[in-house]
Amino acid sequence: MTPVTRTGLDPVALDTLRGIVGERYVLTSDGDVEVYSRDATPLFRGRPDAVVLPASTAEVSAVLTLATRLGIPVTPRGAGSNLAAATIPEHGGIVLVLTRMNKVLEVSGAELLAVVQAGATTAALSDAAAAQGLLYAPDPGSRTVSTVAGNVAMCAGGLRGLKYGVTRNYVLGLEVVLPTGEVIRTGGRLWKDVAGYDLTRLLTGSEGTLAVITEVTVGLLPLPAASGTGVAYFDHLADAGRAVAQIIADGVLPATLEFLDNRCINAVEDFAGLGLDRAAGALLLFGDDGAADVVARSLERMGTTCAAIGARGVTTARDVAESEALLTARRCSLPALARLAPVTMLEDATVPRPRLAEMVDRIDAIAARHDVVCATFGHAGDGNLHPTIVFDPADGDVRERAEAAFADVFAAAMELGGTITGEHGVGAAKRPYLRARLGDDQLALLRRLKTAFDPAGILNPGKLGS
Amino acid sequence: MSGPDDARDEAREDAGPVAPRGIFDPDLLSACISCGFCLPACPTYSLTQDERSSPRGRISLMRALEEGRLDEDDPTLVEQASFCLGCRACEPVCPAGVQYGALFEQWRDHQWRGRRAPVRARALRAATTVTPAITAAGVLRGAARRTGPADVDKVHLMLGCAERALFPGVSRAVVELLPGAVDVPSGQGCCGALHGHNGDSAEGVRLATALGDRMPGTVLVTAGGCATHLAHVLGRDRVRELSEVHVERWDAAPDAAPALGEVRAGGRRARVGLQDSCHLRNGRGVVRQPRDLVARVADYVELPSAGRCCGSAGTYAMLRPEDSRAVLDVHLDEIEAADLDHLVVVNVVCQRQLVEGLRRRRSRTTVLHLAELLAVALRAGCGPPA
Repeated sequence: MTPVTRTGLDPVALDTLRGIVGERYVLTSDGDVEVYSRDATPLFRGRPDAVVLPASTAEVSAVLTLATRLGIPVTPRGAGSNLAAATIPEHGGIVLVLTRMNKVLEVSGAELLAVVQAGATTAALSDAAAAQGLLYAPDPGSRTVSTVAGNVAMCAGGLRGLKYGVTRNYVLGLEVVLPTGEVIRTGGRLWKDVAGYDLTRLLTGSEGTLAVITEVTVGLLPLPAASGTGVAYFDHLADAGRAVAQIIADGVLPATLEFLDNRCINAVEDFAGLGLDRAAGALLLFGDDGAADVVARSLERMGTTCAAIGARGVTTARDVAESEALLTARRCSLPALARLAPVTMLEDATVPRPRLAEMVDRIDAIAARHDVVCATFGHAGDGNLHPTIVFDPADGDVRERAEAAFADVFAAAMELGGTITGEHGVGAAKRPYLRARLGDDQLALLRRLKTAFDPAGILNPGKLGS
Repeated sequence: MSGPDDARDEAREDAGPVAPRGIFDPDLLSACISCGFCLPACPTYSLTQDERSSPRGRISLMRALEEGRLDEDDPTLVEQASFCLGCRACEPVCPAGVQYGALFEQWRDHQWRGRRAPVRARALRAATTVTPAITAAGVLRGAARRTGPADVDKVHLMLGCAERALFPGVSRAVVELLPGAVDVPSGQGCCGALHGHNGDSAEGVRLATALGDRMPGTVLVTAGGCATHLAHVLGRDRVRELSEVHVERWDAAPDAAPALGEVRAGGRRARVGLQDSCHLRNGRGVVRQPRDLVARVADYVELPSAGRCCGSAGTYAMLRPEDSRAVLDVHLDEIEAADLDHLVVVNVVCQRQLVEGLRRRRSRTTVLHLAELLAVALRAGCGPPA
């Protein structure tokens, strides 16, 4: 495929874009494009030539038709909360922002599903479902900000992955616009539908490289009758990892098993003021939902297991509000770590659950070897770790040391049978490590798939499949 | 394992220092990691769904200004420095602890320096520097009577430059509520909050310091925005906001608290909502106290947007009336849907905004300052303790 190079947009193309979405929804001034040059990934920036905010699927289609005809790169964007530099327009062109298409179109209790426009926030979907006694299970940390289509494009994970899975387990159908302008619907409202390749799954996690998602149909569950959360403190993060392995081995499959190391505990406590034990080496947040008696029994069993592993303290949240406060604080771990230093670089290495404690020890050793400050938190129940290196860029070659440390972290994760990214995606940030994970043959297949969807190579060029 | 390719290097930004212009405190500016958790809290982002008008977007603009990629004449910078309400709702929700309010003042100091400031902002800054004119307005409108030089044994009531002219009943109500405990020192000028938020923070500090000198000891403030600014300059322990004072006093000595009656409307206990003062809530963290006081004397109704900016935002309603009304409309809809008897405010500009907004809609709900509501309850009860 010929790589698309950055050419800038000619005045005629800009006029056409203005004709499609309206004058005020095509942004081109230096200040305008500056704002859309970043996402939530530190140290990445790419300047688009124009930012376009469409209001309908038809407008998206017209924009993409034009872009394919003229060879203009298009980077789709929701709230820009992704952590893999997946929405950085590395080759300029158009950043296509879908936040104006933000309606929750339907919540059906009879069919246990919801239909939303691309730019509806995850929280808006979840609230609309809850209002009818239903649960949208995926709950990524950025749920109040992130858009549903963004979650689908990145196959976002979250705190409930262990019991409920991640975004891909709930996407029933998509309306997408192909880069060549055709509007197609994949899947639909059915839980069973095997007509054709599973394009819904292929598009989930495709990081905006195959098509632009304009509408999403998701499956819902009945809202659990009760939920509860507990906290166990350990001297070392690896101990918390061992507790996780034991909890699962005991036959409990809880909704939530999250851990934080000492640095994370303190950063989160600085923000949330929940009275966490600042002296503990690690915190394990465990939670479950379901029938009240089941939840109570499950919490008790997990607490007992933690104590047996050597927890220095175990408590359970008194009520829903306290539970929710703990979960919210956990979701804020990453930005709270920003209190420690100007730059927070986080990764997303994931290992099979039984190797969790081993991986934690390896991360500690790697951080020490490269002389970097690393704080680790993550979805322990999923073996999904977020080692986060915090640094001040003014501090000599620290950025190079941080990158070298992460290269070692990825290598270690793969050695233990894991992966370079569990839930954040590849984007531009982890592209250099993708070959090691997938191999040449699979990368070549990715490229052929990309070409089949996007013959002109306009959609998020430089990312997956390029 | 392959190393980073060329495109990656191209997309990576140089994290090193790039000849900063010194407009912003570098530590404050570097605290934001662009996570976007602030977006849902921002009233202007809610209006537009466009990141230019979000806290994260504005911080990107500030960074571009600081690093010289954009200059202050850039139309997006000019527009966004003016479009931001300065409500600081992004601060309590920011896990990274970004001090947006401080950054915003530094931005406005640069962006609105001298003649670059909007004409109306310059006029307001100038008008509120003239203490005799403010005093005369207060006297003419019948604000609480001044009691001469500050009495060291008393808490000093700050009259506020706008409040004494627009809503003179508020200071009178405070004197009624705290008989013998407050004095009203003469010669008070503006506290400088207006200057601090409108591109002249040096004058803002000077005026607050001068006011503090006139009123040594504790200053009692009835406007949340003024309280937060004054506390920032004089220190939090010297400046008390009305609701904080009452809750503290009445909790510390329940027996000494006045016997408050019930505020009634249509033969029943009144239904009363609240509009928070943004700076009081987001800057000073006062949330519980005004609710607590309203609930003591009436049926308190929490409006869904009680904690969000009403669009008055200091001078904003005068500088950007259309946007101000767009922000206000959500609140008016909620007030009407809740069928309130009274809406309580704790800041003078919110009071003006809501009085005018509800009047436009011919709403039956009346706006009262918290002090006025409490004074009504006081009159309905047995009066102050003997």
